[in-house]
Amino acid sequence: MANQAAERAGQLPPGEARYPDEPSTQDIISRDKVAAPGWVRSESYQFLGDEDISTDRYKDPDFAQREYDHLWTRTWQFACREENIPEVGDYYVYDIGRHSFIVTRVEDDKIQAYYNACLHRGTMLRAPGSEGYATEFKCPFHGWSWNIDGTNKNVLCDWDFPHVDRDKFTLPQVRVERLAGFVFINMDQDAPPLAEYLGPEFMAHLDAWKLENRYVHCHVSKVIPANWKLTMEAFMEAYHVIETHPQVAPSNADANSQYDIYGEHVNRFISSLGVVSPHLKGQVTEQDVVDQFTVGDASILGDADRTLAEGETARQRMADMMRVMFEQATNSDLSGVSDSELLDCFSYTVFPNTFLFAGISLPMVYRFRPVPDDHRKTIYEVLFLRPVPLDGECPETAECVHLDESQSFTEAEGMDPGFGEILDQDTENLFLQQRGIEASAKQGLTLGNYQEIRVRHFEQAVDRYVGGGA
Amino acid sequence: MADLPRGAKKHAKIDDTWVLVCNVNDRLLAVSGVCSHQAKPLWNGRVRGGKITCPVHGARFDLETGEALDLPATKPIATYAVRVADDWVEVCVES
Ligand code: FES
Ligand SMILES: [Fe+2]
Repeated sequence: MANQAAERAGQLPPGEARYPDEPSTQDIISRDKVAAPGWVRSESYQFLGDEDISTDRYKDPDFAQREYDHLWTRTWQFACREENIPEVGDYYVYDIGRHSFIVTRVEDDKIQAYYNACLHRGTMLRAPGSEGYATEFKCPFHGWSWNIDGTNKNVLCDWDFPHVDRDKFTLPQVRVERLAGFVFINMDQDAPPLAEYLGPEFMAHLDAWKLENRYVHCHVSKVIPANWKLTMEAFMEAYHVIETHPQVAPSNADANSQYDIYGEHVNRFISSLGVVSPHLKGQVTEQDVVDQFTVGDASILGDADRTLAEGETARQRMADMMRVMFEQATNSDLSGVSDSELLDCFSYTVFPNTFLFAGISLPMVYRFRPVPDDHRKTIYEVLFLRPVPLDGECPETAECVHLDESQSFTEAEGMDPGFGEILDQDTENLFLQQRGIEASAKQGLTLGNYQEIRVRHFEQAVDRYVGGGA
Repeated sequence: MADLPRGAKKHAKIDDTWVLVCNVNDRLLAVSGVCSHQAKPLWNGRVRGGKITCPVHGARFDLETGEALDLPATKPIATYAVRVADDWVEVCVES
């Protein structure tokens, strides 16, 4: 279009160009039968510069140390879901680097998080990565013990510790906030409250999703051979779809996806499904789009008849099918849900290490943590959240399945095979990218102004905490 | 059987052995009632997903295999055969 020509001629401001002669995400969504809500129908892109992203952040152990000193200690992090600790005395150990916290329900409506270390000689009170139910937190070494509320319960041979004031030997806490069924912690006593940290726009989006009414249906973790930020960035754009996920492109508007940023800690994309990629324009019929639709929690569609009627669009058919099948499979009421929410991929980064997905067909949460002492490795977790069934009986919270580095995501129980394959494709690139960045003559990553804005926005937040880099 | 509806657990001393029987999704699983870590009673622990956590130090065991899943336990707990005869739950503690 004229705009494109203008940009190529250098007249359009940077970041304003879009895929030429293609409908925008908003154009696609506006044609849907069941209209999308405001949080879908808005845009919030901003140009943030076009300098290269320095690569020391991915390969320098000192940079990783600065992250531990200044970033992980000062940010709000998703520690667990409320349904991981439904009853008083239930706990979940959240580890980040050398830090470890026991997140526990101390009253029906009160959750606290303690530094996971004995105040005698330091032994962990609970194993890292463990969860369970406790009547007390008793140290396995000399048996010092704490009540669920963190107060000291017992000091063995207290005659030998006249210098210990048991009232002062309460387990030190970090801050806890609960939001939409997620339990967040922050080590920084001076950090802004979570709602302020996330910003009013995102808070309004999250409020609309009602993720508190979901439960963990599937939980998988795998160690990925790349820096945690690089691993996250593999999921921040749909630009890679045509090359990395060729099987998805026939039913994904990849190159005309929408990218938005909200404040300092949240960004998102909307990537429409049931619509052919602009890269494949003219090569695929509407019937092909329906036939090849595999993305997400699609196992639920089973063998339903996908033959399109005259004039029917693939996207509308997919939305109609999804609505019926998901209602049946999850025993939930989706009548008020828009076609876009049923179909599309809404991927949000919540800084520093969580992705939240808003839709129905792609109901994931991702969490990324560096492997302690190895800045080239990441613990990547995928959770699927399904709506709590209408009959109100919440299925048991899925336990985490740990895959080893060589295993496929498709091997995890509860994982849709088509989605597992997509995750394999995403993560298989990462070993080569990490090693390539280390091998490169070029000391920076070059980013697209629009499609890779989330990467830049994210790294600018990293820089604000770590206080270095370009 | 009346004492062991779905989700319930029951402990008893048979000869000299503390035994814990759990009804996990309508299957009866019997294990040692004593934690392999420091011999604390396991029956105050909570059962989730076919596993029991010791409420004192946090050791966790698979109720089917007895396998220790979390530190500080490293050794399994015994598992026992269970049968139901005329509404009585019987556990075989012979080795
Ligand atoms: S280290 Fe915990 S009681 Fe001694
Ligand atoms: Fe991908």
